[in-house]
Amino acid sequence: MILSMVRARILGPREDLDDVLSTVQDVGLLQLSGTQPAGSLRPVEPDPREAREVKRLRALLVDVDVLTARFAPFPSGGKPQAPASFASWLRQFRRVRRDVDRLEAKRRALEEERTQTARLLEFIRAFRGLLPTGNGTRTHGYHLVLRGQDAGVVPRLREGLAQAIGDEFVLETAPLSTGELAAVLLVPPTDAPRVERLLAQAGVHELPMPEGSGGRTLGQIGPTLTARLDALDADLAALEHERRALSLAVGPTLAGARATAQDRLLGLAAKENAAATPRSFVLEGWIPAAGFPRLVQAIGARFGGRVVVEPVAREDWRGEAAPVVLHNPRLFRPFEMITRMVPLPAYGTIDPTPFVAVFFPMFFGLILGDIGYGLLLGAIALWLRHGGAPGSTRRAVAEVLGAGAAFAVAFGVAFGELFGDLGTRWFGLHPLLLDREKSLLPFLGLALAIGTVHITLGLALGVFNASRGHPRQAVGRGVSLVMVLLIVLVLLAALEVLPHGLLTPAVVGLLVLFPVLILIEGIIAPIEFLSTLSNILSYARIMALGTASVMMAVVANELAGSVGSVLVGVLFALLFHLVNFALGIFAPTIHVLRLHYVEFFGKFHSPGGQVYRPFSHWRPNGTAG
Amino acid sequence: MEAFLIPLSAALAVSIPALATGWAQSRIGPAIAASLAEKPELSTTAILLVAIPETMAILGFVVAVLIMLRAGG
Repeated sequence: MILSMVRARILGPREDLDDVLSTVQDVGLLQLSGTQPAGSLRPVEPDPREAREVKRLRALLVDVDVLTARFAPFPSGGKPQAPASFASWLRQFRRVRRDVDRLEAKRRALEEERTQTARLLEFIRAFRGLLPTGNGTRTHGYHLVLRGQDAGVVPRLREGLAQAIGDEFVLETAPLSTGELAAVLLVPPTDAPRVERLLAQAGVHELPMPEGSGGRTLGQIGPTLTARLDALDADLAALEHERRALSLAVGPTLAGARATAQDRLLGLAAKENAAATPRSFVLEGWIPAAGFPRLVQAIGARFGGRVVVEPVAREDWRGEAAPVVLHNPRLFRPFEMITRMVPLPAYGTIDPTPFVAVFFPMFFGLILGDIGYGLLLGAIALWLRHGGAPGSTRRAVAEVLGAGAAFAVAFGVAFGELFGDLGTRWFGLHPLLLDREKSLLPFLGLALAIGTVHITLGLALGVFNASRGHPRQAVGRGVSLVMVLLIVLVLLAALEVLPHGLLTPAVVGLLVLFPVLILIEGIIAPIEFLSTLSNILSYARIMALGTASVMMAVVANELAGSVGSVLVGVLFALLFHLVNFALGIFAPTIHVLRLHYVEFFGKFHSPGGQVYRPFSHWRPNGTAG
Repeated sequence: MEAFLIPLSAALAVSIPALATGWAQSRIGPAIAASLAEKPELSTTAILLVAIPETMAILGFVVAVLIMLRAGG
């Protein structure tokens, strides 16, 4: 059902506005709406001091976001702390941001140097013994890094060198852990200029020597590099330690600072909903009728008679403007998720949740209709529910699936199905209601009968909805409803389920009502009526999907016996059952949703409800407004 | 002749609507994907719009079953 709302008006002295807003925020039930300026009432605009405060709070939130990202993982929530001083938080976070930025820049530089040093050491290890260790050698050495992905790079380099300087060179390569190729090239000193030209043309660069190598060769600086690598590791560890210390110092404050700043911003923004004269203010908003006394009591307890809370008369506000709060019994509540997937029903109309809670799992179970699949789905639903917090989407999904699973098991018993015909083969299960594998026409009849009930219920709800303000539409829907019932009567009489004598009066009734329907709803009425009939036929999908589900399960069982090896056959059958089970969850969900949204809701649902966002303390999931 | 025509009729009754459904969904799918890129909140509508043409295939299946049961004996 949709909760009854009250439009509340709060009046009081201007100087109490901030405190009244604070109390309203503590109560957390009033959705503020703009107060219309009238006479000397003017909208309350933020003064320059508050505008500066908003800027500071936003800057603070940016700092909190940056630091939270740097120090993650930290909890993003937190209870609002006493606002000791936003300015001191701002100064503290700015200082920490500067320190963190400095540490980060230093860490990046050290990491870069470490990567280069490790690469050089790997190079040295790959060519130990080949690298010249003295300056007075008779060869000139080049240390190169080649792209390892290009297989032809070494042969091409060899060929180029042979053409440029003949056979007087040594080229050795070794793979690096980075996927590149390390190469050492030794040539006579006289050929060095030609070789350098060739390397430059080929775009091959020498491995850069570390700073401070002082003209020493790679072979000579090996021990120094090893020591430097150790020093770099120690420096990086010290940096990490410093970062962790900063994180421990400021991290726990971040969540609380965010909550407090957001709370204050909400309070400042809420002031814009008030209107005031130089001496008094007016605040208006929506509150569930059951919560109104709580607001009156909280304001009365704090301000006595200085501030007045009164309900605005019902005739002074339009229902479409009121926010919508869905409130259903515990058993139906998870199904509000399905109602919320389409626009909310307008205030004052019917909440479809109780009907969804009855028909959704029933249709789902009718399609899946298997004890084995139902129990499997129930186990999944239990697992989902176990990990979901109360009120979370996960828990709602689990409970909807659980209801579907219960109906699947119940219909599985009625149809005598346990993993298809396995129950019949192994345990002698027999259908109590109908055999879906063979009784296709009775199953089709059952699906269409359910469709008729569902659609006529939708039409009846439509009559009820339209009767509050659209009497002509209500009569039109009522006539459609009677015509649908007469058509059912005609069919049942024709098939001799009902006495044949009812046929003629029912047909006469139809012939009389048809022009009445056109008179009320216009020339479009016949088309809409035909669409209502096709809506009923659409419920044939329950039979089609149900039959497909049982046939797939039977085929899976047949496969187990038809493959040569028993093990392969069983594995194949299990795989087939798994696919059928996955389809058995997905397809019914989509199609049952469609039957509700298109066929059922189309008959009565009046979208346009506003989401209820009460003015309350800030919460990390953003439910405050 | 009937032994050939009855299964053929049933096959046509399910295959032609199935092809039509496939064609309709092939047009709806890209359009919905483009809409979702701009308005992710339309996901429920998207599921429904893609599921709507399936009615044709389902009714085709029902007709095929009726042909097989009624005409096939």
